[in-house]
Amino acid sequence: MQAKRTLTVCLAGNANVGKSAIFNQLTGLNQTIGNWPGKTVEHAEGTLHFKGYTIRIIDLPGTYSMSAYSMEEVVSRDYIAVERPDVVVNVVDASALERNLYLTIQLLELNPPLVIALNQIDFAAKKGITVDTKKLSEMLGAPVAATVATTGIGMQELLSKVVEVAEKATRSTDIKYGQEIEASIEKLELSVKTGLSRLSSRYPPRWIAAKLLERDEDVLRKVELDKGDAIISQATEIADQIEQVHGEPSSVVMASERYSLASRIAGASVRIVSPPRVDMSQRLDAVTAHKIFGYPVLAGIVASVFSIVFVAGDAMIGVLEGLFSLVLVPATQTFLSMALPPVAVQLISGGVVWGIGAAVTIVLPYIIPFYILLGILEDSGYLPRAAFLMDNVMHKIGLHGKAFIPLLLGFGCNVPACVGCRIMETDRERFLAGFVVTLIPCAARTVIILGLVGRYLGMAAALALYLFDLSLVFLLGRVAFKILPGEPVGLIMEMPPYRMPAVKSVLKKTWARTKDFVYVAFPFIVGGSVVLQFLSVTRLTSTIADFMSPLTTSWLGLPPIAGIPLVFGVLRKELTLVLLADLAGTFDFSSILTPVQMIVFTIVTMIYIPCVATMAALAREFGAKRAAAVVILDSILAILVGGLAYHILSFAV
Amino acid sequence: MPEEASLVEVLEVIGTLTRERRFAQVIEIASRLHQTVDLTRELIGAALEQRLVSNTQNGLRLTEDGETLVRKHREEYVHRTYVHGRSMADRVRGVLEGRVTDWHGHWHRHGFDDESIHDFHRSMENLQGRIEDTVSLADLTEGEKCTIVLAAGGHGMIRRLAEMGLTPGTEARVVRSAPMHGPIEVSVRGVSLALGRGIAIRVLVRRLRDSESRA
Repeated sequence: MQAKRTLTVCLAGNANVGKSAIFNQLTGLNQTIGNWPGKTVEHAEGTLHFKGYTIRIIDLPGTYSMSAYSMEEVVSRDYIAVERPDVVVNVVDASALERNLYLTIQLLELNPPLVIALNQIDFAAKKGITVDTKKLSEMLGAPVAATVATTGIGMQELLSKVVEVAEKATRSTDIKYGQEIEASIEKLELSVKTGLSRLSSRYPPRWIAAKLLERDEDVLRKVELDKGDAIISQATEIADQIEQVHGEPSSVVMASERYSLASRIAGASVRIVSPPRVDMSQRLDAVTAHKIFGYPVLAGIVASVFSIVFVAGDAMIGVLEGLFSLVLVPATQTFLSMALPPVAVQLISGGVVWGIGAAVTIVLPYIIPFYILLGILEDSGYLPRAAFLMDNVMHKIGLHGKAFIPLLLGFGCNVPACVGCRIMETDRERFLAGFVVTLIPCAARTVIILGLVGRYLGMAAALALYLFDLSLVFLLGRVAFKILPGEPVGLIMEMPPYRMPAVKSVLKKTWARTKDFVYVAFPFIVGGSVVLQFLSVTRLTSTIADFMSPLTTSWLGLPPIAGIPLVFGVLRKELTLVLLADLAGTFDFSSILTPVQMIVFTIVTMIYIPCVATMAALAREFGAKRAAAVVILDSILAILVGGLAYHILSFAV
Repeated sequence: MPEEASLVEVLEVIGTLTRERRFAQVIEIASRLHQTVDLTRELIGAALEQRLVSNTQNGLRLTEDGETLVRKHREEYVHRTYVHGRSMADRVRGVLEGRVTDWHGHWHRHGFDDESIHDFHRSMENLQGRIEDTVSLADLTEGEKCTIVLAAGGHGMIRRLAEMGLTPGTEARVVRSAPMHGPIEVSVRGVSLALGRGIAIRVLVRRLRDSESRA
């Protein structure tokens, strides 16, 4: 007998329930992380072999609901309903069952073959909670496997249940609501079945009925396209009636209904063994989320993350740069010049090899240590505390506390920070955060501030410049917030308990993110390097510098040679310093730049065009048009502020 | 004896009793308001005279005018107490706005779309008890418990709150609040949620004493 040998299984669940940990346990290193086609929603996929099956596992984004309000939720529900995976594994947190079952109930509405992974039973036990898996399974009509993802307990059982469900192809059964809502849904379901043949072959009619009652925009649109105007008006009428009786929006009535079901199921299957006591997490919170002490803790954590990154980066960067500029570039040069004309040699060695060198020297020394520390902060659960403490500050620039997280990433590197803006809820907030992020002085820009202003004009001047940049960020954020249409969104965020970060998970995240960075940034850095090398071979750089000279010399008051490093700085901001030294033939910048020029040069490099890698990330996250708008805006701003600084400072000095 | 009840409070109690399908009569109303029967009778007399309530065989009932008055009273109360925050700027803004005549347009300016205004009015009509008995979630101190009554705001916000577990009738406990009008952390359904101050202000709750708590 040759049964179907490949199974597709997807993982669904709330955020912070250990879904990714289960994904990692199951798939090991056999995973790829990318985006859902056409969406900026993360798509993680992996494979494993079990009992002769090849199982493809898809990790759906962590969501609390299955409504149409966020891209993640629409992607998840469409995947389950339309792609019909062989099994849906719903990962639920045993320590907060009621809240987690809210999503489970919505999954059941889609009638997929379902298996429940009751995760974090160890953590629940510590909180004095045990769950009767038999009872839970009975009430939900789906098999339940108890798991501890961090240690791998229960994975075999989970997989056996997945295979069992897949072999029998048992679809989960409907779950009944309270009388009044149930009657309304059944009435509507009947009309959907008869009236919407096309749509109800893709989605379960009962689910369409429930979503229509909630006035789900996405489903309403789909029904309209399927010529279901009569059904829409019927649904509106029923929803109006429900609202009349309850005095609340029908979506809230449905949410209450689901929660009361969740509460009933949780109540029947959860046993509180010992009374809750103050645990480690709460004790930590008493300090880290404290009104006063929270802030020094936050400052301390941020400061130590960046000093570790800089210390580690500095140590490695010297070695790597030496390797590329002293060994690899000359080596390829000599090697290639045996066969190729000099122009080609220069393009390859100076463009490709040097470009790879430039890319590697950011990734290894700065990005990897930064990602490791970020992974630790994330897995420990500290970041929501930082967001909690910074919410009111972020509101001043029209964003809420969660935006502090991408901003913080921005200090390391703007590329992951752009991706990090995905945690914001609406498109407007994402873009606003993305714009602000490009102005945050990243590690490369900090190198310039320290290497030029810090070294020659003192740390106080460097710090002042840093603060100037931050106030500019603040000001522009405020302006953008006023200009961009739409309402600001308030903070509604879960504060998960603190956890001990696991080494394996942190390393895996670091690996996946580094890979993503390489894919996004490398082609642009290497390509950009080749283009610039081409410009310099054809002597176009000096033409460009000449062309720019009215701007660089008269308006910004910089020496003529400063134009070229500014052009090259687009590749990597810290290159501007190296190139300036190259062109001037000296590392003593005080001999070529006056103090005012140093400040102006630093201000311009700090603000103008984000580096190519950031541009690529911006284009991926927000589209080419908006990315271009940011690039143009930043450049104009840099010239404006730099010029003003020059005129004011030279007047004052 | 507490302060003398106003006419509109009597109307609110009559409305609530009707919704609870109970017989609205003077003694019941007086006991709910903690007022003397005489004063209550006097107020009801005035209400009958102004045709805000009518006498039916099922006891006292609000007339349409009565319903409108209650709704307007609650609307103004919510506007004053919850939608305008307690910061200095908010108070100044509240004074500058003066007496609102065009409520619909006014709610629009507060970020309510038509659908949200519609829902909000329904919630106002169905609110049990007196609006004065509710407080804002942002007003609770650390450790205090409450039940959620309703949230005043745009559609998206209300729905998200409900999905995160803050549905009407849910019990919640304030864990801590961040300084300088920062967010508030509440524990609800076994999970900790951080709510921005702007949102927390607009969540109407009823305080619970420890003895009333289910947990």
